[in-house]
Amino acid sequence: MTTSVTIDSVTKRFGDTTAVDAVSFDIAKGEFFTLLGSSGCGKTTLLRMIAGFMRQTSGHIRFGGKVIDHVPPHQRNTGMVFQNYAIFPHLTVFDNIAYGLRARRRGKAEIEREVKRMLELVRLGHLAHRRPRELSGGQQQRVVLARAMVIQPDVLLMDEPLSNLDTEMRMHLRAEIRSLQRQVGVTTIYVTHDQEEALLMSDRIAVMSRGRVEQLDVPHRIYAEPQTLFVAGFIGENNLLPGTVLGREADGGAIIELAGGGRLRGASTTTGDGRACIVSIRPQDIDIADASNGTELSLSGTVGDIQFLGGAVKLMVDIGADKPLTVALPGRRDMAMPTLGSALRLSVPPHAVRTFQPEVGA
Amino acid sequence: MSTATRSEDPTGRLGAVLGRLFDFWPMVTVAALGLTTLLLLLPVYNIIGLSFSGTEAGRSLFDNYAMFFSEPYYYRSLINSFIVSISATILALLVGIPAAYFVSRYNIWARSLIKTVVVLTFVSPPFIGSYSWVILLGRSGVLTRFFAEYGISLPSIYGAPGIIFVFTLQYFPFVFLLVSSGLKSIDQSVEDAARNLGSGEFATFMKVIAPLLLPSITTAALLVFVAAFTDLGTPLILGEKFRVLPLLIYGEFVNDFGGQPVLASTLSVLLLAVTTAALLLQRWLSARFSHATAAIRPLTMQEPPPLKRMLAAGYVYLLMAIAILPLVNIVISSFLKANGPVLTAELSLENYRRIAGTLARPLWNTILFTSTATLACAVIGTLIAYIIVRRPGRISALLDTIVMFSYAVPGIVLGVGLVVTYHYPPFALTGTALILIMAYFIRRLPFSVRASVSALQQLSRDTEEASVNLGAGPAATFARVTVPLLSMAILSGVLLTWSNTIRELSATLILQSGSTITVSIEIFNEVVNGNFGVASALGSILILLTFLPLILLFTLMGKNEEALV
Repeated sequence: MTTSVTIDSVTKRFGDTTAVDAVSFDIAKGEFFTLLGSSGCGKTTLLRMIAGFMRQTSGHIRFGGKVIDHVPPHQRNTGMVFQNYAIFPHLTVFDNIAYGLRARRRGKAEIEREVKRMLELVRLGHLAHRRPRELSGGQQQRVVLARAMVIQPDVLLMDEPLSNLDTEMRMHLRAEIRSLQRQVGVTTIYVTHDQEEALLMSDRIAVMSRGRVEQLDVPHRIYAEPQTLFVAGFIGENNLLPGTVLGREADGGAIIELAGGGRLRGASTTTGDGRACIVSIRPQDIDIADASNGTELSLSGTVGDIQFLGGAVKLMVDIGADKPLTVALPGRRDMAMPTLGSALRLSVPPHAVRTFQPEVGA
Repeated sequence: MSTATRSEDPTGRLGAVLGRLFDFWPMVTVAALGLTTLLLLLPVYNIIGLSFSGTEAGRSLFDNYAMFFSEPYYYRSLINSFIVSISATILALLVGIPAAYFVSRYNIWARSLIKTVVVLTFVSPPFIGSYSWVILLGRSGVLTRFFAEYGISLPSIYGAPGIIFVFTLQYFPFVFLLVSSGLKSIDQSVEDAARNLGSGEFATFMKVIAPLLLPSITTAALLVFVAAFTDLGTPLILGEKFRVLPLLIYGEFVNDFGGQPVLASTLSVLLLAVTTAALLLQRWLSARFSHATAAIRPLTMQEPPPLKRMLAAGYVYLLMAIAILPLVNIVISSFLKANGPVLTAELSLENYRRIAGTLARPLWNTILFTSTATLACAVIGTLIAYIIVRRPGRISALLDTIVMFSYAVPGIVLGVGLVVTYHYPPFALTGTALILIMAYFIRRLPFSVRASVSALQQLSRDTEEASVNLGAGPAATFARVTVPLLSMAILSGVLLTWSNTIRELSATLILQSGSTITVSIEIFNEVVNGNFGVASALGSILILLTFLPLILLFTLMGKNEEALV
């Protein structure tokens, strides 16, 4: 039943504003695909167009190669899970789950069997005849999940399904949704603003900003190799520092000078020599350099603040730039704790240094 | 790619577009537009047309209006209407605002009883109040004679002062209810801040509370004004030689019956112009004065010093006693032996015995017409509300405007319009039950729509989308999800509509015939014939029918009195 989805240069305009701007990508059959971005980036609009609640201004959406632009939402056979559950408050748990099957005029025995099977799958069998108001938020969301899956949708659509839950329930349901999805193998499009959720659950992620897809990739590459400044800033903690590309070495590595005068070696850069750039370095990629092993290409600074987080220690190191460099050290038992105000030499492996064009006006 | 190209061919798209025209909601929208056009716009259009026409040739377009504004007999009525309506509005504000403030802010005794009295006054039929005052203060009224024995002559209940008096008492609940609910939306911190900065209680009220209440006050004022300006029953009973505009319309309409009610139409257009202007003004004012405040901690109850508390309580009790007096009087006098217009002090069931034989038909008519119109309002009102809230756009905005316009069309004007439009074959609806039901339906429609609109706005759209997403079409989603979720709002709308429709008089006076007589018409006839005892017995039954749904509304559904306005 489940199918691949193709988004073919889909654009949605509301008056003068463009909510979704010529977005194209393919989602494979059975894939867990996440649209990640902050509010207003167009991810929900795109999802609602896939569900058919909105019509795109231009472009096409295909399910398994077939254009579904003119198919009304109730005939698209998508299963949607909403942020605020959208549970039917006047129906029991059983009737909520049976709703889609009844709309499809399935036989009574089949409905009974399918709903029971789904109730077991989401472990709510004992609550079948309860009313929604008697359920916790997590239970309600599982009902809604079951309700969307029982119809064997071509595509499962989830619009921030976990954002109204408390942290513990969220952790729990993440794992549950992921394992259910793997079990059933349904193509899933998941919308979230929570990057941790996205990285943890997805097969692939499309990071969206201002109606465009900034980067589409598997989670670890999104994290390790951000392709745009936006993704570098949006995913994970990052130091984004202004700098200048001074020149290149024989092996193609670039020499970059940061504001404040520190110099770094970067593995590769597209930025031309002598040009201003933004340098991105993950805090955990920075090490305290051996003082004896100092080369000219290392940073030095003074410790401005120390944040002890248990598993890690964060240092705010003043390197003479506008903002301090954040350094994250693993919190080991015998680690030498730096002291406030002490001078440090820092080293950064060249492949951890990425450069981006500064954004116009940013 | 090849499959894609094939399914994007133009015939497929055309088919889809054509298919959408026959979808559920577009069809409902067209039907709703058609219905409101036939029942509201066409009648209004026709009376406007008639007002510019004449029977003789060679007349100018504005002859009817020219005559109106040149003949004192006619234009006086317009001035009179303004005099009584504006006076009643000012008095209702002066009486109602302090009462609402005292009941909301001071811990005076029996506050829930006071609210009950306000509700009873508010929903009781105005013309019953008027003739009740005639029993009390008329030429041979109970109180008139009582005080005459001590040589005190009471002011007359007839003419302008009497009408203003009755209107004030009948309509101050608008002010009371709206100001009470306005006070609830003011945060205590606002008052605390004013007091902290050195204002006394009165200064705080005038400088801080009253300005924040302005939207409620202006809305109440304009509602009182429109209600007073369009009321027919009260001036019909109390007016004598004092003529107001609705009275003149009724008179001219009855005179012209059989011919074209040209003059009645002309007068109706003038009446409609005033009410429309008033309601537009109200919209503009409430948009202008609205302070979007939500009280986190609403104004608290105060404990004034004993003397202040007693004075405030005394004022409120006196007002409530006067307001409820006509209703109490009706119920009591229905059990008194009557000698024409003069009631004796002898208890008897004679009045009820006398109506027992003739009551069946008007009672059945009343219940049938009211129930049918109420049901139509509930069904069509909810459908229209859905279109307005869930399918915004130009057509839905147009529908909204038409429905809200019906709010501005007074009952008597609608009555004249419906007769003008549907008197002649092929319709020939005059005197039928259908035309009364049509009038009741369209008059209450804006209230039903408004109630469902506000309930729908609080209902998350996701729930309906979930239903659509699961494969239920638009109609099935509406029936299986939207309606069940709105059921409480629809039910309370039904109770309110029933209670408001059952006491309708002005449109009924124009539209009824012998076979479609209602209880309110029967009461009116008995009053005109001076059979006050019988009228009181009928009045008590009508009051009971009006209150029953409200008792359900307040007790079973836990609504408060502010649901009424």
